[in-house]
Amino acid sequence: MIKERRLIASFCFVSFLFLLLILFLPLFSFQSALYTKRSANTFVGDEKYLAVRAEIESEAAAYQEKGIETTISEQVTERTNSKGKKTSMVAFSLLSTDIRSGWQLLASPFACGRILFLCLILFGILLLFLCLGLVTAGGTAVRKFKPFHHFLLDIPIAASVLLLFCVPAFALSLNLTFGRNVTLALSQNLSESDSAALFSGLDQFLFGGIAGDKLADMLGTFSFRLNPVYWCLLAPVVITLVCTLKLRFGQIRHPFLRLLLYLTVVAFSLFILYPFFVMFITAFRSNAETTDMYFLHVLPTKWIWSNLKDTLERGVLRYLINSLLIAGGATAIAMLCGIPAAYAMARMNFRAKKAYLGFIIMSQMFSPVVLLVGISRLMNTLHLNDSLIGLMFINAAFNQAFAIWLLRGTFVSISSEMEQAACIDGCSTLSALLRILIPIASPGIVTTLIFVFINSWNEYTISTVLISTQTNRPITVGITQFSSFNMIEWQYLFAAALLATVPVVILFMLIEKHLAAGLTAGGVKG
Amino acid sequence: MNNIFVRHKWDPYLWILPSVLLMLIFVIFPIGIVFRLAFSDISRAGVVGEFIGLGNFISAVSAPVFPTVLMNTLIWVVSVVGLSTLIGFTAAMVLNQPFFGRKIARSIIVFPWAASLVIQASVWNYIIKMEYGNLNNILLNFGVIKNAINWRATYQIEFIWECAIGIIVTIPFVTFTVLSGLQSIDSSYYEAATVDGASFGQKLFNITLPLVRPSLTVSTVLNIIYVFNSFPIIYTITKGAPANKTDTMVTYLYMLAFYDQKKGPATALSVIGFLILCLASSIYMIVTMRKEEAL
Repeated sequence: MIKERRLIASFCFVSFLFLLLILFLPLFSFQSALYTKRSANTFVGDEKYLAVRAEIESEAAAYQEKGIETTISEQVTERTNSKGKKTSMVAFSLLSTDIRSGWQLLASPFACGRILFLCLILFGILLLFLCLGLVTAGGTAVRKFKPFHHFLLDIPIAASVLLLFCVPAFALSLNLTFGRNVTLALSQNLSESDSAALFSGLDQFLFGGIAGDKLADMLGTFSFRLNPVYWCLLAPVVITLVCTLKLRFGQIRHPFLRLLLYLTVVAFSLFILYPFFVMFITAFRSNAETTDMYFLHVLPTKWIWSNLKDTLERGVLRYLINSLLIAGGATAIAMLCGIPAAYAMARMNFRAKKAYLGFIIMSQMFSPVVLLVGISRLMNTLHLNDSLIGLMFINAAFNQAFAIWLLRGTFVSISSEMEQAACIDGCSTLSALLRILIPIASPGIVTTLIFVFINSWNEYTISTVLISTQTNRPITVGITQFSSFNMIEWQYLFAAALLATVPVVILFMLIEKHLAAGLTAGGVKG
Repeated sequence: MNNIFVRHKWDPYLWILPSVLLMLIFVIFPIGIVFRLAFSDISRAGVVGEFIGLGNFISAVSAPVFPTVLMNTLIWVVSVVGLSTLIGFTAAMVLNQPFFGRKIARSIIVFPWAASLVIQASVWNYIIKMEYGNLNNILLNFGVIKNAINWRATYQIEFIWECAIGIIVTIPFVTFTVLSGLQSIDSSYYEAATVDGASFGQKLFNITLPLVRPSLTVSTVLNIIYVFNSFPIIYTITKGAPANKTDTMVTYLYMLAFYDQKKGPATALSVIGFLILCLASSIYMIVTMRKEEAL
């Protein structure tokens, strides 16, 4: 309990520290050129140079009067032109460097300012409830800690966790406003109203409203730098991770700290789902948007659902049917051969049993990739190359070891008493298998079945080698038709990929639980 | 086991006959063919000539790219198996904790295992494109970076990406194997250890690790085999380019056999790879058989 209270205190303290850091440290500096003057054919020290110099100095003095500190930068480019004459160009610019800290953002119309405002509110809540909790529970002995006090102390914890997550959000939106949005607005990729709002906001925030029409020019040389301390702002993520690990170790059972466990799990899940998310959104983009150089939108501006229909019409339907046939046929063959073998291995004793078991375990390493040359020759001899039937048999054979292994595990775990009784009553071994064992073992059988199906569905390497006719391609090979050497139609590629992925992922989720149990029996991956 | 099911001495062999036949024709035969080809002279058209001993092996091993390919294979296998085991183990520990939404998390982690490797590799291939890739898109739109980053500037970086993708797609397998091992550990061990005041580290090294070691061994050895044989990721993203610099053994031998039409050296490489795998899987067989006997 004391540990928990100490943790609450440290959490609140850390979040307070971060808030102070953002608010009062000079976090970011902006450099922009208020005034630029270029003068051609000017050599350092000559009359023209001095005139321009005087002009820029008077300009600087004018800004000085308005209360803006500037520095004059001078850039000389010398080169010899084609006639062998030496030319020189001098460019003067009036640079102003503005350093801002977080509290100055509060009044600005940018999103980062609003996040900071939210942080302050959260901190207020934190402080209020921390005081309330400590005052009411103050003198109470640890054992007499009432649920009410827990509740009072839970709120500051929640507020500080949220506050810590606001910090990276703040940093991100800072970058977004002063980096990305400025670039986009200058290259006229933002909508007019957006860029007008951005420009007026920037004008107020950076130059106190003096820039007016000159703002676009000033922003042309705009650069935005962050204090190195800024990187410390990403530390909350580390802190929360460490706390999660501590939580995982079971030392802290505080309900709100469990929140951190969830945050880690959510982060990891998001990471896993990321490529699938990309597949999904890209599948419904327009062709122009898949190869958009300006990276304008995260989500498709217009969801083009007809991409799915188009891919189906461009041969994908045929590939899906082929895949279905191959995977279905392979599963059927693998089960027809595998169930009897697994039955014999589980229920009967014979001399070669151990050798066969060893062979089955060993054969999990027989990868079709290493044997590709042999397989393609064999299929040539059997006249099964470029045919779906050949692929069915190959897939069945390479999944056979796994199927027997998993089925055997299931059969062994089921007591043989009922079958024995049936056999004594005169039932044949075959009907004992069909009528008694298979119905009981059906969960294990379905798991094996689905697993073999998925493996055959996802098989790619042998199909690329064996299949040469376009209409015989399975989906994994078929999707490559959308990526030719010089043009890739990403939206169709991913629409087809989506169609190929959704069914297997759903099937896999169904057997996931049984598979984990089956893996203890042998451990097999596709 | 009793023999009430065996009416005739040959009965069991009849039961296993279909599976033996299937594997004999489609697995053992190709192995035989590969071995025969590896020791024979093969013309570019594919006509098998006479026995030439180790000639194919010598020309395969003496190819200038062979050391690079071997090194890549080593890096590929070690990094993918090592890191995915580490991350998968941690993920399994987290998923073994009871928490709300654990089922959903388990369903999500299954995704990379279920989806086809060639599809996932294509998606990642799109994600890390510099000009319009999704990673740059997201990072730019969230303001993390200012200019598009070339995520695949050199072939070394591309190879690192391939390894990373290999790790991501391998994690679920490790997680589920370890998870099934973790679930079989009796919680009373931990309770006793907690009563005795053991720290987390002590519990991890003295209870968890020894008890999940069999599952961990199974997953590691199988992973070595599968990762060694993994083909679609590298083939989709770089195709071994530039000049075989990112090839592993299997992609290299595929290119050799089906692009360069050098079937002789390719089959010789197959045999070498086959022997390496034999070593790994005999270790696996010994471990599993021992476990089987213990049951």
